[in-house]
Amino acid sequence: MAGMTPVNEHLSMLLSCYLDGALTSDELDEVVVSLESDLAAVAEFRRLQEVRRSVRVLPILDVPLYLMPGEHLSEQLSAYLDGELATIEMPAVSAHLDSCTECRRELAELDRSRTAVRALPGLEPPVFLEVHRETVRETKRGLRTALVVASGVAAVAIVFTVGPFATEAEPVAVSIADLQYRHTAVASVPSSGIGVQISNAP
Amino acid sequence: MNAARRFVLVATSVVLVATSFVASVSATELDDVLTEARDATYTASRLVVSVWGGKTQVSREYVEHADGMEIVRIGAKWSMTGNGKAVSMGDEPTGITFLTDQRSISTSRYTIKEIAKAYHMSRPCRIVEVREGDILRATLVVDDRSGALLIQELYSENGSLYRRTTLSDFRAYRTYEAPTDGSDVPAEVVMHEDSILLPDSIAGYELVDAFNAPGGSEQGYYTDGLFRFSLFILGGHMVISGFEDSMELVAESGVYKMVPTAQAVRLHWRDGSNNFVLVGDLPPDHVADVLAELPKPESRGMWARWWTRLFG
Repeated sequence: MAGMTPVNEHLSMLLSCYLDGALTSDELDEVVVSLESDLAAVAEFRRLQEVRRSVRVLPILDVPLYLMPGEHLSEQLSAYLDGELATIEMPAVSAHLDSCTECRRELAELDRSRTAVRALPGLEPPVFLEVHRETVRETKRGLRTALVVASGVAAVAIVFTVGPFATEAEPVAVSIADLQYRHTAVASVPSSGIGVQISNAP
Repeated sequence: MNAARRFVLVATSVVLVATSFVASVSATELDDVLTEARDATYTASRLVVSVWGGKTQVSREYVEHADGMEIVRIGAKWSMTGNGKAVSMGDEPTGITFLTDQRSISTSRYTIKEIAKAYHMSRPCRIVEVREGDILRATLVVDDRSGALLIQELYSENGSLYRRTTLSDFRAYRTYEAPTDGSDVPAEVVMHEDSILLPDSIAGYELVDAFNAPGGSEQGYYTDGLFRFSLFILGGHMVISGFEDSMELVAESGVYKMVPTAQAVRLHWRDGSNNFVLVGDLPPDHVADVLAELPKPESRGMWARWWTRLFG
């Protein structure tokens, strides 16, 4: 490209806008003059045309909906909590969570639900129910049915009576320092809306 | 003639003295004073002394206060609170942020009046009284220039002082001694939730906001415009640590575990099915009033009592 001077950024931008049809009349005049008198400008113009042509012939990517701007995460939240997202998906999901209040709220609710489910007590069937089950197998069908019903009733009764103790078997611990910490944070919210009625004393 | 002139002179002096020492100012000015106290910029040492259950609690801390944010150092440990965020800046910094649009409350519980001008630490101040009806609830010494509360004295119903907060080494600017302002510490985000268990008001305190708390429990934030507390309703299966060496608070409504600190009182009780924890800066008689309107403490549930009777 001997004899050509490098195209400056301003002109390159104008040429790009020219291809987009986004120039003002003054800018259009400037571009026309450049293309008529400057070989470097013409070369840059052709390069930009070539780049755009190449982009147009690229295959269309099937971008997942949740990666599109404005689309929310849905099933990905569950996979995110389970650590089942593909490595390549993580940055996009994290970036979306950083900016989307709705998805953060959904994630928090999902996390709370899972925590609540995990906190449920695990009840083991009492040993005497197992004994009943062995006995029932050797009896006639009618008696078996009656015993199964009786066992069910017994199991329900046990859940109601032993339940409170079963929950105490797997306690969830929380410290008063943590609760105090939470109170301090909430109490630091500017209370401009909380009005102490101020009046002159009598 | 001389007598008449002397009378006028004395009367004028009396009026001038009275107006200067008992200067009732307009509501707007006093409201500004309270807002300025929250937004004041200063650096100081803060000493808090409280008396709860006959025991004295003392806390001394270094404070940098600006724009509603407060950075505190106790010993070598830094923490930051403000605008709904609390951050502990230790070896492993942790934080929590409450996203909330607090419900406005209006209360006519307190009246505030400026009673005198004064100098404290060579700074011009005004002394302000806060009254709940006829009861003196607080005396505040407010720095004229910064708006900071240089001294706060809080009183219980019988007029006894239960908490005194004083600032010393006062400078009306930030010294930026903290290693960080806490803004870069990642924080757990907690959002407002509608409550199903928390009452809308308790003994003159109104529920301003509600949040989910650990283990699926609920946190209600209450205020009467001056004092504040959080009520946590936690599941019966939860274990609350930190009350192992607690005192007993005996109220008409029952016996409660109590751990007072210089800044707040912490209470814990069970009603048979739930754990309750109350944390706040409210005065002792307000504590009793609030507890009277909440579920009463009960040692254990019906099934637990049966179990104890049967199996010891």
